Formats: sequence, structure tokens, C-alpha cells
Amino acid sequence: MTRQQDPVVSSSFREAIFVVSIWLIAMVWTISVCYSMGYNRPVEDLKFVYGFPDWVFWGIIVPWCASTVVSCLFSALLFRDGALGEDVENTDDLGLGG
Amino acid sequence: MLETMLQSLAIFSADWFMLFAADAPAPRAGYGASFMLLLFILGSVWIGILANRATSGGGFMKGFFLGNRGLGAWALALTATVQSGGTFMGFPSLVYKHGWIVGLWIASYMVVPITGFGIIGKRLAHLSRRTGAVTVPDLFRTRFNSPAVGLTCTIFLLLYMSFLMFAQFKAGAIVMQLAWPDTTDIAIAEDITPAAETSYTVGFAGVTVTLTRYHIGLMLFTFVVVGYTLIGGFLGAVWTDLFQSLLMFVGVMILLYASLTAVGGLENASLTSLKHTGPGYVTGPGYNSVEGAPDFLPLSLAISFFVVWVWGGVGTPAGLVRLMASQDTAVIRKSIYLLSLYNMGIYMPLIVICICGRALIPDLEHTDEIIPRLALMTTSKWPASSFVAGLILAAPFGAVMATVSSYLVVLSSAVVRDIYQRFVNPVADRNHLRIAAWCTMIFAGVLSVAINWNPVQFLQAFIVFSTSGAAATFLVPAVMACYWRRANSSGILTSMLSGAITVLVLYAVGIAQQLMQAQANAPTSFRPIFLLGFDPLIWGLMTSIVLGVTVTLLTDPPDEDLVSRMFDVIES
Repeated sequence: MTRQQDPVVSSSFREAIFVVSIWLIAMVWTISVCYSMGYNRPVEDLKFVYGFPDWVFWGIIVPWCASTVVSCLFSALLFRDGALGEDVENTDDLGLGG
Repeated sequence: MLETMLQSLAIFSADWFMLFAADAPAPRAGYGASFMLLLFILGSVWIGILANRATSGGGFMKGFFLGNRGLGAWALALTATVQSGGTFMGFPSLVYKHGWIVGLWIASYMVVPITGFGIIGKRLAHLSRRTGAVTVPDLFRTRFNSPAVGLTCTIFLLLYMSFLMFAQFKAGAIVMQLAWPDTTDIAIAEDITPAAETSYTVGFAGVTVTLTRYHIGLMLFTFVVVGYTLIGGFLGAVWTDLFQSLLMFVGVMILLYASLTAVGGLENASLTSLKHTGPGYVTGPGYNSVEGAPDFLPLSLAISFFVVWVWGGVGTPAGLVRLMASQDTAVIRKSIYLLSLYNMGIYMPLIVICICGRALIPDLEHTDEIIPRLALMTTSKWPASSFVAGLILAAPFGAVMATVSSYLVVLSSAVVRDIYQRFVNPVADRNHLRIAAWCTMIFAGVLSVAINWNPVQFLQAFIVFSTSGAAATFLVPAVMACYWRRANSSGILTSMLSGAITVLVLYAVGIAQQLMQAQANAPTSFRPIFLLGFDPLIWGLMTSIVLGVTVTLLTDPPDEDLVSRMFDVIES
């Protein structure tokens, strides 16, 4: 007899994979832009975008806003609600209740 | 997580050498700060009483330690993974000292909301119901049906949480000092000597004791925190934390407006602070006022922090417990966007505020004081300025209080559930359990006062170690427990132990080296070995994954029936 995996487990795992990729993309974007535009840069040719140094704007502010939008979209569209189930009484040898 | 790491960074910094350097006398906070603090204390006690009423039905353990699994979205979002005392103290100080590069240091907070709740959040809430678990060790023990796993987990949890908590009391006591109306100590910094100059002699039952403000603050702080945690339990701790987070948001918004107006725009702030410092202030790898100091953020550390904040946040025991307590999946879903908006509204403004701070107050020695000083300075012409400044000053106090309170709950739940109920009295009734919980908390409070009576600098080293250690110990096992059907108890044990030992060794070697290098006087800083430039937590996590997975595959698979109970649809 094979039993079916709880849908909460499968959906959580799918979402976890998605979230980890978002983290990786955010990391690559932020660090590569900041490093290439901001590290050891001569101050003379530093430009400002809306008051931020340009590398801060493109390397931190923009991805931060993008991540916030992605997080909101993720929780609105991708994250699947499901029943978490009732508390099972402790099933080990002692059978401790709450 | 963030706040404890920040506290320790304060000691890594070169400021240590400037212990007795003097800044211009700080403007006085006045009665506003005392009033706000009092308000905060009364608010917390009231919240504790409300929480007590809310959890009075049902079993004691799930009520007192988990709030009957009823956390809503706001409570989960703004307390589980976020900022605390350090956000208003250590972090601003870093921006003030090193400039815009600190934006990159904290940048991973852009994804912390989605990673903190999206990776194991839902499944952990699910698993904690499948196991009927009240505590983290409880969950691991039942998930793998292994007392050894449960016990190992309990021991590590108690170890890390004790270190973390004891050191927080000192911060709490120091904040209490700032509320004295005539005080000039306006920030909590490791390097502020407790105000020993003012002491009071108290006689009681023929015994006279001389107390300083630090001692009075310590006792008062302990009394308040232990008191409302006793009354409110887990829910009391969470609600106070929420209250403090909202207060902080208001404070940051006021200060953002005040400091941008005072400095005349952001670009102006950058250019002015650049004049006071050097090119590193607006470029990578950051500005350092001390010649020859190591770069603030080389590439390897930039990568490290993107990993550390994110995965460290997922793996903290206090955070795991809050996920276990969340009410349903909708709560976790809503928490993601609440927290992502909140983080954006806190961290980016704070960076801007501190850059303005460097332009407005260029040469501060005690850089931890930047936020309070800025608050007092920029609002001084406002009506009721003392109260506005008091609000901003009260925020770090609230943050420390909330942190201690939540650690106290995790600590006592482990003692009551995983030691008292497990080994001493399995059939304890409601009253016994309540008394056991209270005794644990009071004992922890008394012990904390005793340990901190003469403030110990050395404790800070344990804080950093405990924070990284906890993440390295619990993160990989938690992910394996959630998603890997093949995971077994031997693999989990290996994973926990190897992660913990790796971090321990890297810290121990680092500290030992400095002890040997230090001259006759006390060592100047505690830092671990950054192997190849990466943070110890990264090495800890890597060993934990590699050894955990290898040992799992080399040993017998777990009992199919047990796995099925944890993963499959329950047939009714």
C-alpha cells in the first residue's frame, strides 16, 4: 500500500526551491553590481542618482525594491495555502501531552 | 541574530582603543526619556496581563510556551526574524564609521522576509503539529523518534540561549541608566563604563550595600522583564516585541524627515560627509578612520554576509519556535509581504539617516551614540522635543527587553518540557508545570544579575559564538527534517555536532591566537579565524551538510511507518 504525500509538504518544497533561487539571483545581482561599480572607484567620477551614489542606487536600492515586489507577488500568487492539520498527541514512548 | 552580531562588531572595531576619548557633552535627554521608558514598562506589563488572559484556556504547555499556536500575521512578521536592539545601536554606528558600503553589508535583508518564511516556514508549522511538539528539541525528538537527538538538541539549545541571554541583561542595565533625567550617557555601547561615579547606599535589615546606577538599572530591568514574561509567557514576549517594532518604525520615520531637512538633501549629505572622511566613505570596500586597519568589507565578506544574515535568520531557535506557533498558512503568507515592506522602510532610511549624521555631527568618538544624538539635535526646536527624543531613546530599551523576554521563554520551555517533564515528572499537572516554568525564569533572572553584577567583557565573545553556533547547529538538521524522507537520526546527530564543532573550533583558534598575541594587558578584540576570508558560519554549514548527508546515506534508512506519519496524508 503506498500512501500519498501530504500536499503541504510538496507545495512547501516547491516554494523553497523558488525562494532559494530568488536569494541566489539577489546575491549575484547585488554583489556583482556593487563590486564592479563601487569598489576602488575614483571619487572624482562618482555620479549620484536621486541623491544616492550610483552604485548604491543600481546595486542596492533597485534590487531591494525588486525583491520586495517579488516577495509580495510570491506571497500573493505562488504561495499555496493548505490545512496544517490538528495537533497529534506526542507519539513517542512517553506520550507526553500538552 | 543581527543585533547580537552587531554588539560584537563594536568590539572588533578600533574604537576599543579610544575607550576614554571624550565627545562634546551630550545634550540632555531630560524627563522625556524617563517618561517614555516608564510608559514602555507599563505597556509591557499590561501586554503581559492581556497575553495571560488570552492563553488561560487549554493546556498549560501549549498556552504558556506557544500561545496555543495562535500567532497572527503582524506578530509573526515583525518579531520572528527581525531587528532588535542592534538596529538602533550597532548598525547605525557601522554606517557612521564606514559609509555607504554598509548598505551592501546589510543588503541581504532584501530577501530575508521571503527566505525566513518561505524556505521551511510552512512545513515547520505543519511538522510541529504532526509531532505535537512544543519546543524545538521536542520536534526533533519526535520526528526521528530518537531520545539521543532530542537530548543533544536540548543541551545545545540551553548552552546557546544562556550565553545569549546573560549578556543581554548588561545591555538592558546600561539602557536603564540613560533614563535618569540628568544623565549624559545617551547610548548603549560596550565601551561606556557603568556610571560608577554616582552611588547610593542602601541599608536593609542591618546590612548596608553601596549600589551604583548600573546595579539599580540591572535589578530594575531584571525585575520588569522576568515579571512580565512570567505573567504573559510566549505571547507576552511576542506582543511586546511587536509593540517595540512598531515604535521603532515611527522613530525611524520621524528621524528620516528630521535629518534630511537638517542636512539639505541626500546628495549634500554624501558630499559633506565625504569632506569629513575620505574616498572610502562613498565607495567600496569602505572607509576606515584608523590607518592600516583591515578593509571593512572585502568581496569575501560581502558574500559571507549575504549568506550569514539569510541562513542564520532561518536557523535561530527563537525564530523556529515562532514559526511553530503560527496560526495557519495564510498567516505565514501575509507575514512575507508585511515584513518585506517593513524591512524596506527601516533599513534604507537608517542608512540615509546615518550618512546625514556623519555630515551633521562629523567627529563622534562614541559612534554608538549617533542615533540618540541626532534625535536630540534635529528635534531640539520642535514642540515637545524631549518626548520625541525620548521615543527614539526608548526604542533600544524596548528592543533589548523584547529580546531577553523571548530568550527567557525558549530557555524555560526547554527546561520544563525537555528536562523536567521528560526526565523528572512526566505526569506533572498544570500547577506543577506552571511552578516549574516560573522557578526556571526566576532562577535565570537571579543568575543573570549575579553574572552581570561586575560586567564581564568576555561574555561578548560567547554571544557571537552562540549566534553563529546556533545557526550552524540547527539549520541543516531542520531542513533535513522538513524535506528529506531518507534522513535518519544518525545523520541528524552528525549534522548537529559537526556544524557546532566547526564553528567552535574556528572561534577558539581565533581567540587563542589573540590571547597569545596580546601583551600583558587584556586582549583588544575577539574575532574568529576567517578561513579564506569567509565567516565561520559558512564553514559550519558546509561541514554540517556534507557530513550529515554522507552519514545518512551510509546508515540504515529510517522506519517507513515513522516517515509516513510525518510526510503523508493522514487517513481518517
